[in-house]
Amino acid sequence: MHISRGSLIHCLPYFVFVVAGLPRGRRNYHPIPVFLAALSPKPDDGDAADATLVRQLLQRDMRAFEQLYDRYGRLVYGLVFRIVQQAGTAEEIVQDVFLQLWRNAARYDALRGPFLPWLLTMARNRALDNLRLKSERQRRREDQTEELPSICAVPQFEKELDQKRRASRIRELLTSLQPQQKRAIELAYFEGLTHTEIADTLQEPLGTVKSWIRNGLLRLREGLQATT
Amino acid sequence: MSTSDQFGELLEAYALGALDAPERSALEAHLATNCPECTTALAEARWLVSQLAYSAPEAAPSALLRGRLMKIVGEEAARKEATQKYSIRSTQTPLRTFKPTVPYWMWAAVAALLVVALYSTWDARRLSDEMRDINARAMAELNSREKIEEELGAVRREAVILADPASVKIALATGEANARPLQAAWHAQLGIVVSGQKIPPPPGQRVLQLWLIPKAAGAKPVPSQVVRPDENGNFVLLVSNPPELTADTKALAVTEEPAGGSPQPTTTPKWVGGVVLSDTKD
Repeated sequence: MHISRGSLIHCLPYFVFVVAGLPRGRRNYHPIPVFLAALSPKPDDGDAADATLVRQLLQRDMRAFEQLYDRYGRLVYGLVFRIVQQAGTAEEIVQDVFLQLWRNAARYDALRGPFLPWLLTMARNRALDNLRLKSERQRRREDQTEELPSICAVPQFEKELDQKRRASRIRELLTSLQPQQKRAIELAYFEGLTHTEIADTLQEPLGTVKSWIRNGLLRLREGLQATT
Repeated sequence: MSTSDQFGELLEAYALGALDAPERSALEAHLATNCPECTTALAEARWLVSQLAYSAPEAAPSALLRGRLMKIVGEEAARKEATQKYSIRSTQTPLRTFKPTVPYWMWAAVAALLVVALYSTWDARRLSDEMRDINARAMAELNSREKIEEELGAVRREAVILADPASVKIALATGEANARPLQAAWHAQLGIVVSGQKIPPPPGQRVLQLWLIPKAAGAKPVPSQVVRPDENGNFVLLVSNPPELTADTKALAVTEEPAGGSPQPTTTPKWVGGVVLSDTKD
């Protein structure tokens, strides 16, 4: 059998790929499907791509799970850590959240909204539940937890932004608010306090707190709408 | 202000989870009416609130967390795959519906143990049979030896009786022309030995029986041992426990009797020999 020099040159990228994959020491390393997967176009970083990955979880696709974790693991951890303020606890919660995603991916319904808000809402609720276990507000808060999945809709003005740009923009918009206004929103979001509790914490009238929160969120919405 | 406007002001706070109980209950009652404006607005408010997650300071979980997650997920995926493979195999061979909860090597070990147990049982039974045979042979040998020793003892006793000068030698003569006499020796302690050579065997199953004839007048003959000559017509009869008083016996006689002997003579004696003591003789 004659093997031409040209055919060898065409196979060179594959050989390089195989040799590059060997030092990983993976068991069950099958270079051909991995090589073909690497050549195939990656899904866009959009809601549709997320929904596709979640559907693949139903088929017990580990690669889809890895992609989702690599895409949102840091964001979810940052949110949970901000709420619970303890690295070990935050990691436990993040592990629970992603394992719930792996085991109960069918609970996510793409028709009811995009994936990421669903995931973030689940992570936030878990983290706040952890806080409530340690506080006297636990009993009162239990019946306030929203049942998942809730309908969530992306506004028409929403633009595609990568995570870094989006984080930068959100922080910028929040920083542009009055400090007390920003503080009230953070107390509600990261600590799970109600209007009354925030008013007590900030020693401000209840109506003022309500206005701060509503107006602050509206300004945030307007700011995102103005983002090009 | 319409009802929708009134509740619309609460939607962001509701999505944020900041409403106090009375307002929350009122809004949820309104949402239960499926107000289209509020439902749409609430969905967008939820998205807006979710964006606040980006305001959290950047923080990275440890690489260990990723490793743990992938390990757990990998194991669960492998278990799921194994279960699916088995379920496919089960549908292809519907008769085999048991679950392989026991590994195959364990089945092999159980089978090996079973074989060893069966072999051990068979071997134990074989050894037991061999032991029984050996015991039976040993008992037979022992009996044979005892018999030989007994015979040897009898022969020795006969030899002593015949050789001892203290024994009374008795010749039992016969009146038949073709019959040879019998020889007897009586030792007071060791017994009586009666022997014959080339004696025609009695007909049928009949035997020769020794009788001791007392001196006392009117006394009946005392029955003693029976014997049947061998094919050459030879025999030796040993009486180990004769009467102690030799002097009370007048003579010895031998008759033909039915098999097993008789308490009283049924035929006329073929051989008779008088007992003559040495002291009397002298």
